[in-house]
Amino acid sequence: MRKIAYLMPLLLLPALAGAETLKPRIRLNGETAGTFEVSGFSAAVGMRLGAKDAAKQVADIFTVRVDGKADLPPLLGEYSAKDGTLSFKPRFPLQRGVRYRAAVHPDKIPAAEGEKYAAVEETFLLPKPKTVPTVVEHVYPSRDELPENLLRFYFHFSAPMSRGDVYQYIRLLDAAGKPVEAPFLTLEQELWDRAGQRFTLLIDPGRIKRGLKPREDVGPALEQGKKYTLEIGRDWLDANGEPLKETYRKKFRVAAPDETQPDPKTWKLQAPPAGKAEALVVTFPKPLDHAMLGRVLSVTDDRGQEVEGTVAVTDEETRWRFTPKGAWQAGNYNLVVDTTLEDSAGNSIARPFEVDVFRPVEGRVKTETTKVAFKVK
Amino acid sequence: MRIRTVVAALCAAALLAGVASAAEKKLTASLKKGTPELKQAGPIAFAPEGILLVGDSLGAAVYAIDTGDRPAKAAEGDLKVEGINEKIAGLLGAEAKQVRINGLAVNPLSGNAYLSVTRGQGKEALAVLLRVNRSGKIEEVELKEVNFAKATLPNPPAEGKNQRQETITSLAYADGKVYVAGLSNEEFSSKLRAIPFPFTEADKGTSIEIYHASHQKIETNSPIRTFVPYKVNNETNLLAAYTCTPLVRVPVSDLKPGEKVKGTTIAELGNMNRPLDMIVYQKGGKDYILMANSARGVMKVPAEGIDKAKGITEPVKGGGTAGVGYETIKDLKGVEHLAKLDKDHALILVKKDGSQNLDTIELP
Repeated sequence: MRKIAYLMPLLLLPALAGAETLKPRIRLNGETAGTFEVSGFSAAVGMRLGAKDAAKQVADIFTVRVDGKADLPPLLGEYSAKDGTLSFKPRFPLQRGVRYRAAVHPDKIPAAEGEKYAAVEETFLLPKPKTVPTVVEHVYPSRDELPENLLRFYFHFSAPMSRGDVYQYIRLLDAAGKPVEAPFLTLEQELWDRAGQRFTLLIDPGRIKRGLKPREDVGPALEQGKKYTLEIGRDWLDANGEPLKETYRKKFRVAAPDETQPDPKTWKLQAPPAGKAEALVVTFPKPLDHAMLGRVLSVTDDRGQEVEGTVAVTDEETRWRFTPKGAWQAGNYNLVVDTTLEDSAGNSIARPFEVDVFRPVEGRVKTETTKVAFKVK
Repeated sequence: MRIRTVVAALCAAALLAGVASAAEKKLTASLKKGTPELKQAGPIAFAPEGILLVGDSLGAAVYAIDTGDRPAKAAEGDLKVEGINEKIAGLLGAEAKQVRINGLAVNPLSGNAYLSVTRGQGKEALAVLLRVNRSGKIEEVELKEVNFAKATLPNPPAEGKNQRQETITSLAYADGKVYVAGLSNEEFSSKLRAIPFPFTEADKGTSIEIYHASHQKIETNSPIRTFVPYKVNNETNLLAAYTCTPLVRVPVSDLKPGEKVKGTTIAELGNMNRPLDMIVYQKGGKDYILMANSARGVMKVPAEGIDKAKGITEPVKGGGTAGVGYETIKDLKGVEHLAKLDKDHALILVKKDGSQNLDTIELP
């Protein structure tokens, strides 16, 4: 009897040794487009993970979450299992600078008899590359004297910016530094170019257009004779999540409203000489819209063919320079202009911003384009 | 004899039913299988048959996507998800501030909510469409190999120096057409497009310039920020909110190319009062418009006077809102999006304490 008593502990030892705790390993294979891989399962579990009906089970075993609030749902993605390794490919690329928490949930693992798994958690953070701070390169119109009925500003940033709720970063301050209340048109969708580097800001048309309630109630946003500062706040983040290098300020004073339409007949054309590739210079009596100047003017030869070249807008948007690709040939040319070309108050060649319907004949150009002829000698 | 008559009658009935359902599915049948290359998921709205319309300003297109979401019966009950923006961000593997909800719509056939989202910023920004059911479960709307159609808008952005882009502010389906309102990031134009749906190559629709004539008979271009189709005396109208604030009514029969479309001003909403979203609903046998405003909360406007409203032509002074009478629903601030959930409820997306919540309210 005593012999059996001594043997019992020896018999128990192997059973106790079998209950070891297995610790799966989590790694990220790749970077933003990477796949999470979990290994270290027993062969038996590996087999079960690879089974055709294991899809739902697998999603419960291993989850990746954005590190933060506990109740956040796990990342959407695709699970697969091969040779005992569980893989998870997130639906969308991982974001740099964001910490992700990957976890193995041992209670969900179809462990074999006597197997135990540890709860394993790993965090992953892909570093953000160091970038040069983004700056406001330019605000158009360039002049520091603007008309009272100014309609539009363009902000040019040196890199793509973050979008959404951006109007909170833009302020119009009066001479005393006090913000003018609600001077801008705020659109949920915002007006951006494709690259996200150029932002169009409209002054609230309800405060420019005569006879509308906002203007009746609170007056125009800009008043002739007064000074203002347009401020673009530093805390407007760029697309990389970094603030601007500094707050940008444009100081300006306000002159009388601009109610004259751009008129090509008032433009001065300096024709370049033949045989060279010097610029054609067109000078306007007042600044015109910077963006449209880059797009709606072209030069055609006497056969109506467009001349290839590059455009530059200079001198506070009062000059348009066209440099041809090749040398000018002597002959007759046309400067072709879209009649949609506007000034910064929204008056176009075709129509003024505000049209008095009692005088409908004045100021309306019906054609889509208009031409100014010039000679190269 | 009698049995044959019954059988004949049953066959006729079956035939008619077959014809009827084929007609109902006419819109879906016009869609082709493929993968829409959505560049930006902007404003959304539902066409019949569970077809989701998506405005893509970046790709200069409107997509009509078959969601396949046509259960036998629409879901009932409240739809509430607290912190939906954070939950969406969690699912998409992004920080909450990297996720923008651009549009909200409810499929009347199923009662499921749909959201259009931008995930990420800059060059890495991605368009995502999501579906939320009554239990608050959020799923991605599959875009691979689905039945869809695409209508391209004129002046698509060209690679290189063309920075001009038209931003779609609102869209809706009415009487066989998809209406799309937008404004340019350059010239101050106000384009409203009417595109026949099903989309065809032959007819890309018409573009109409919308104007506003203010009291002193001064006429200006007037972009539309949001609009909703509405029937007045059995005629379809668009109730549109201009960016310069008047709320106008435009009969769609007026929307002909070359026509000077001005709309009748039915309310002057005034400063700091920007409609973000509008729906039309019925209560007690009468029609009402529910409008989410940026500063004033949610307003209820009786539609009854709208067809009779002569339109505001006199200048309106002082505070308040002129025109058709309205009622502000107190305690409903920060509503960013609004959609009809069912005949008695509206679904709202509210900004509260730095978070966004989907909530259900009774139509007031």
